[in-house]
Amino acid sequence: MLVTATFLSASALYALSGAFYLSFAARGAERASRWATGALGVAVVAHIAFLASDYAVGGNLPTADIRQMLATTSLLVAIGYLTALRRYRLAVLGAFITPVTLLLLLGAGFHRDVATVPEPVRSALLPVHIGVNILGVVAFALAFAVALAYVIQERLLRRKQLGGLFQRMPPLDELDSLGLRLVTVGFPLLTVGIVTGAVVASRLGTGEIGLTPSRLTAMLAWVCFGAVLGLRALAGFRGRRAAIGTMLGFACALVVLVGYVLRAEAS
Amino acid sequence: MSQRELVVVGLSHRTAPLALRERLAVPAEEIGADLRGLVATGALDETVVVSTCNRVEVYVAARDARAAAQAARAWLGSRAATTPLEPHLYEHSGGEAVQHAFRVAASLDSMVVGEPQILGQVKDAFGAAEAAGTTGVLLSRCFQRAFAVAKRVRTETGIAAGAVSVSSIACELAAKVFGRLEGRRVLVVGAGEMAEAAARHLRGEGARIVVLNRSRERAEALAREYGGEARTLDQLAAELALADVVVSSTASPGFVITRELMQGVVKARRHRLMLLVDIAVPRDIDPRVGDLENVFLYDVDQLESVSRGATDARRREADAAERIVLEEVAEFETWRRSLALTPTIVALRARFREVVAGELARTAPRLAGLGDEERQHLDRMADAIVNKLLHQPLTELKRSADHDDGARLLDAAQRLFALEVDAAERRPVEEGDPIAASHAVAEGKR
Repeated sequence: MLVTATFLSASALYALSGAFYLSFAARGAERASRWATGALGVAVVAHIAFLASDYAVGGNLPTADIRQMLATTSLLVAIGYLTALRRYRLAVLGAFITPVTLLLLLGAGFHRDVATVPEPVRSALLPVHIGVNILGVVAFALAFAVALAYVIQERLLRRKQLGGLFQRMPPLDELDSLGLRLVTVGFPLLTVGIVTGAVVASRLGTGEIGLTPSRLTAMLAWVCFGAVLGLRALAGFRGRRAAIGTMLGFACALVVLVGYVLRAEAS
Repeated sequence: MSQRELVVVGLSHRTAPLALRERLAVPAEEIGADLRGLVATGALDETVVVSTCNRVEVYVAARDARAAAQAARAWLGSRAATTPLEPHLYEHSGGEAVQHAFRVAASLDSMVVGEPQILGQVKDAFGAAEAAGTTGVLLSRCFQRAFAVAKRVRTETGIAAGAVSVSSIACELAAKVFGRLEGRRVLVVGAGEMAEAAARHLRGEGARIVVLNRSRERAEALAREYGGEARTLDQLAAELALADVVVSSTASPGFVITRELMQGVVKARRHRLMLLVDIAVPRDIDPRVGDLENVFLYDVDQLESVSRGATDARRREADAAERIVLEEVAEFETWRRSLALTPTIVALRARFREVVAGELARTAPRLAGLGDEERQHLDRMADAIVNKLLHQPLTELKRSADHDDGARLLDAAQRLFALEVDAAERRPVEEGDPIAASHAVAEGKR
């Protein structure tokens, strides 16, 4: 009961915060932005309460399975954004980040029966695999929101639509370098995640060796982010194309996560 | 009797696209010859051409307003070559022309209302016409008053305070692309007034300024002013590769920054973001440059979209400014109508003086023992009588100039005193009160 109540409260508060951020992006009322950030702060508290109660009631660790991982990732994205908000003028990004947070949390609540990790998979490597993947997805989720903001802002600037939304967006160059920093943080995490994942899977010995669709998608995400970083270092590749590459990478990562959720559901 | 009338024919950012305006823009070195050519048509007596990036306007003063407007249209048409101009042209005459001139100088008709550059540009246009000898009493007075109106509007309303000049818009855009401008490299190509203003603005934000000019001396002079560096045109490609913001305003008739040049530059700068602001008319930067990845190009017209969105407060200030303009137009019109009196006043005074001088000449020989001093006393007395007799009629004529019966009264005065006045043969006296001026004329004859 407590678990459900905290889960629903956190979800509702994320939705409310997202609505306020959207209203701020569209109309520019500073009040909406303050309320949005306030609602997000309370949502984070409710979210922590949800994870704590889930552990207290069901004994589920925040990294126990794919759904717990999604819930943890969602929380970290929200915390990451609130932290960035203190440093950058990114209020309008809330309109893109809160939906991602909500989506991840709802993914966690897709089915509440916890499919425990099979015994053979449990090893010292597993927490590393889970931890780096969570942190990687958090970095990419934030990078996605920044990239989306970049693409929108770039389009407004190119089309000479310099109205309210444009004025509320952060400067393009800042979005570009912030996006790069997030991808630079996320990429090694994803790399370690994929490698440890392969090792863990080989220990599982289920015969699932080779390229499964989810591994292929994970590799695709890795290629996208790798291309964003590599081409930037080699040819100065940046701006809109880098932002689109980042968004594609995150979309691939999301597909992998959805695949896991569905697979967990099936099992 | 006919009087000179003021007419303005032209086009501006409100009526014509940039592509057309840039074709009509008159280079500074050609303006003198063009002005003299206009007067040489014989259709007009005075002319001033205001050619900025946002407008090309021909102000004329002529007795036949229609013929003068036709001449101005023909001249504009000759510059437009094959493009039909008529749909883009506006024409104002009389008080409306004066109002237009005042509004333009006061920056009320500007793309960015309240921007300060236009006044300097109108002053330059008037200066060029004075140098070419194509101004007379009417346009001189009109433009001098326009400058005074602009000053009043600036000091008495808050329009300039809230103004977003093209230079500050360029600055704002740069901030939206790059965030903090500290240490950013700004390349100023050419030495137009607006580019200077933009450079000053960006310098104020901490940007590093590099001035690039055809003439090294000019570039160095400007660079010294902003504490920047000077470059010449042959270093353009290298400088473009380094710059974050480019503000271009050369007088070049063709593109200075072409797409081909920029394609190489984009590679050389490794696709770093770049903002180009083209405030030149004709344009300096090929519009296709704006299609390049990570390059953002704005021309004068596009900057307008940034300046839109006037707040209520700004509209109130603009209303106050419009009221000042209307007041000043009314005053100008009073002065202009009083100009019509001048020949009559001069003739009236001459007639009176003639009678008095005749009578004095007849009587003086009969006055025995009249010394030089006594003769001077007599002259002064005669003058005083003429002045006192004429004071009331002249005051009344002047007052009536503002009213409908002015022309009738003027006609009556001419008939009563058998005055032969042909305004066409007289050049109106310079500036000021025609009655006071007539005094001066009368005194000069003495």
